[in-house]
Amino acid sequence: MALSRRRFLYGLGGTGLIFVFDLSCARETPTPPVLLPAEGDDEEALVAAATSARFDYRGWLVIAGDGTVTAHTGRMELGQGLKTVLYDVICQAFELPREKVELIMGDTALCPNDGPTTGSNATRGVAWRYWMACHAVKSRLLDEAARRLSVAREELVYRAGEISVRDGTRRPLGIGRIGTGVRELSEADLESAAGDLPSYVDKQNPSVEAEAIVTGTKQYAGDVMAGECLYGAFLLPDYHAPRTRLLSLDLSPAEEVPDVVRVDRLGDSVAAVGRTFTAVQKALAAVAAEWQAPPYPPDFDNETEIRRRRKLSRMIRDKGDVEGALAASDHVVTESFVTQYATPAPIETHTAVAAASRRETTAWVATQNPFQARERIARTLEVPEERVRVVGMPPGGGFGEKASGSVGDRAAALSSLVGKPVKFVYSRRAHFQQDLKYKHSVVLDITTGVSSEGKILVRTIDFHQGHGRGTRKLYEVPAERSRLFRSEIGVQNAIMRGTSYTQTIYALESHTEMVARSIGLDAIEFRRRNVSESAFLPLLDRCAEMLGYGVDLPPGRGHGFGICYHGVHQYAVVGAEVAVDRTTGEITVTKLRGAYDIGKVMNRNTATMGIKGAMIWGLSYALFEEARFDAHRSHMEAFADYRIPRFADIPEIEIDFLQTHRPEVPRGCGEVPVPPTVAAICNAVYDATGRRFYTLPMTPERVRTALSR
Amino acid sequence: MARRTLSLRVNGKRRRVSVEPDEPLLWVLRDELRLTGTKFGCGLGQCGACKVLIDGRPIWSCMTPVEAVADGREIVTIEGLGQPGNLSPVQEAFKTHTAFGCGFCTPSMIIEATALLRDTPRPTRAQIVARMNGHLCRCAAYPNIIAAIQSAAASGDGGEEA
Ligand code: FES
Ligand code: FES
Repeated sequence: MALSRRRFLYGLGGTGLIFVFDLSCARETPTPPVLLPAEGDDEEALVAAATSARFDYRGWLVIAGDGTVTAHTGRMELGQGLKTVLYDVICQAFELPREKVELIMGDTALCPNDGPTTGSNATRGVAWRYWMACHAVKSRLLDEAARRLSVAREELVYRAGEISVRDGTRRPLGIGRIGTGVRELSEADLESAAGDLPSYVDKQNPSVEAEAIVTGTKQYAGDVMAGECLYGAFLLPDYHAPRTRLLSLDLSPAEEVPDVVRVDRLGDSVAAVGRTFTAVQKALAAVAAEWQAPPYPPDFDNETEIRRRRKLSRMIRDKGDVEGALAASDHVVTESFVTQYATPAPIETHTAVAAASRRETTAWVATQNPFQARERIARTLEVPEERVRVVGMPPGGGFGEKASGSVGDRAAALSSLVGKPVKFVYSRRAHFQQDLKYKHSVVLDITTGVSSEGKILVRTIDFHQGHGRGTRKLYEVPAERSRLFRSEIGVQNAIMRGTSYTQTIYALESHTEMVARSIGLDAIEFRRRNVSESAFLPLLDRCAEMLGYGVDLPPGRGHGFGICYHGVHQYAVVGAEVAVDRTTGEITVTKLRGAYDIGKVMNRNTATMGIKGAMIWGLSYALFEEARFDAHRSHMEAFADYRIPRFADIPEIEIDFLQTHRPEVPRGCGEVPVPPTVAAICNAVYDATGRRFYTLPMTPERVRTALSR
Repeated sequence: MARRTLSLRVNGKRRRVSVEPDEPLLWVLRDELRLTGTKFGCGLGQCGACKVLIDGRPIWSCMTPVEAVADGREIVTIEGLGQPGNLSPVQEAFKTHTAFGCGFCTPSMIIEATALLRDTPRPTRAQIVARMNGHLCRCAAYPNIIAAIQSAAASGDGGEEA
């Protein structure tokens, strides 16, 4: 880290250039311009300015005196391949080998706060923006070199980190020796670079992390200070928020555990610090503590409670003559769908190491959002944020769950309690019980009216819970009404891979195939007649072809599809083949096929891995995952209580990229595969059994019960 | 219990540690020997993130008291299979096939796959699945992991270097 900081200062100081540009394209409102410190200002002041809140959503490219190009970003590598893609982009734009490019991610002392890493906007919002910025930087370097060498800019060429005069009369000038100071790239600079951007070539490089990962040398938060710090943990009530009061407490048995350093009450929780992870766990197990239970009755029927407590949150869409269109429809289909609660359950539990003092605190946190972790730590320790440095460590799986959370501030509290560095690794049970958030259960009532020619005339949707998103740009619907209801249930909502579109698309696309069947139309043909975006047409054909759709399947087998539009022009069609065992109720997904139009694929290796993984998330949501809890607490303590996919569940998966819509620009692909996969599997199960499952997941018990009726 | 000095054989080297005898091997490897490639995911034998080879057989280090593997048992961790720049064939295959997302489960997957290929040099897909099924990968790199193991098998020698 010290080296990186020197490098950063080196770039800022007398011998290099720093370029700053707006990265806020992923947000609705652009970042307001800032006043940069003037050239030659004190280096520390520049770093302070660079990492202050005023620089939110800015990207940094630093060209050091030796010609090394370093990007500083607050974004995190989550396994989505962002690091690989950023290296690919910068190396390719500057024609530099890997060794001449550096990437500093997620360190609040060295990186601008360019937002949490969630959703699928990382390649679209960050990597492509860097691609444009790199070219804008090259153009500025040519301008400055022309001035410096007193030659016309047209006489200069950039190649591989050097600028040379075409006629060869002078020695080439390294890009580290062109100038010094800070330069802001304006939106106009980026746009003009975008105007004649060379096409980005996917060289299909292996992940930059590959060697470290396969040798076990990639550093995660838990690997920091191995053998050099204490361990700590908190004993908290297992209840959901709101927090309950500690009624009685006996710490003495815990203090007897060997290797325990300190056991103490902290507010309404118990903190233990010891020399080993095991000692701390044993100490907490020995604590006798009793908490006041929450006041409300523990059990409730989810769907009933959601419906009973509903309040209209907003009218999402209200267009055309809905009642008239319903009356004019040849067929009207009405259905209700209920989705389960789910939780991300990464393999790495919440983990952080903190070395806290009032003067200066450093914390290494497994997080998707280092700046939020810094804010929480500062608040917990009651110190200004400038005194806290969070080194964001790449999570061993985050999936939304590590975009917020308390592990950093809890580790800091433990560290300040004992005045030494403390590592806090959540036990699996604590991870499943404490501060748990859930992907929400959504109840959807959908009605569609169609003509006998197979055209959708009208649709109404009532969403209960969730955001009511995911229906846009799928089908041409002349008359439409959709409303969002919210119900106070007291369960914390989680962001989770697949977005809120998952619940919507499961319901809507299941419904779509039921509507098609109601008029005897084929599922692909019905979609062809109704999709509002022509980009779907080739995808539908390609996906059907990959699946082998149209041939007769043996009994107990079925085919189904789902489509999804997400983010900015991400189109997906997924097809599934399933086999259903009527006696056991077991559903086996035998094939998954996906056709995607997501624009430019930046790195096929990491993109393909990510898309197949996301399709498996869809499979899991359809068949396995169901968070169990009551109004008091989570009922999950271990992976045995929360089924996630295993090797034996994995079908053959094939995907294809079709680039019909603006193929030169990447549009992201992290989440769009999840929702249509859920629907495709549900539709395939219907095709195989003639039964529609209106509640997820389709567990063997549910299937068995339904089929024996 | 009290700390005791035990002698371990790890990645071909003799190491002495002073630990609680019932301390799970996982934490001894990570904190006493600083071999942090072996990961904690559950501590319950349910995720498979912590496997190491004991006398060539993959076991859960989170469930194995350190005293049970002291004195002469041969322990091999991911660090003993290959290093950056000198990968074992299985590691090489995981690299080329991008058989990971976040990479947290990967070292243990490689340990298991290495043992699998030594026992069954040409495994069928079904044999791979059966043997790997106790390993969870939440990033769901499963298809790529299966492909990596198949390609390491096809390239002949999947065995460990150490
Ligand atoms: S940590 Fe050993 S099996 Fe999960
Ligand atoms: S690669 Fe992330 S858990 Fe397997």
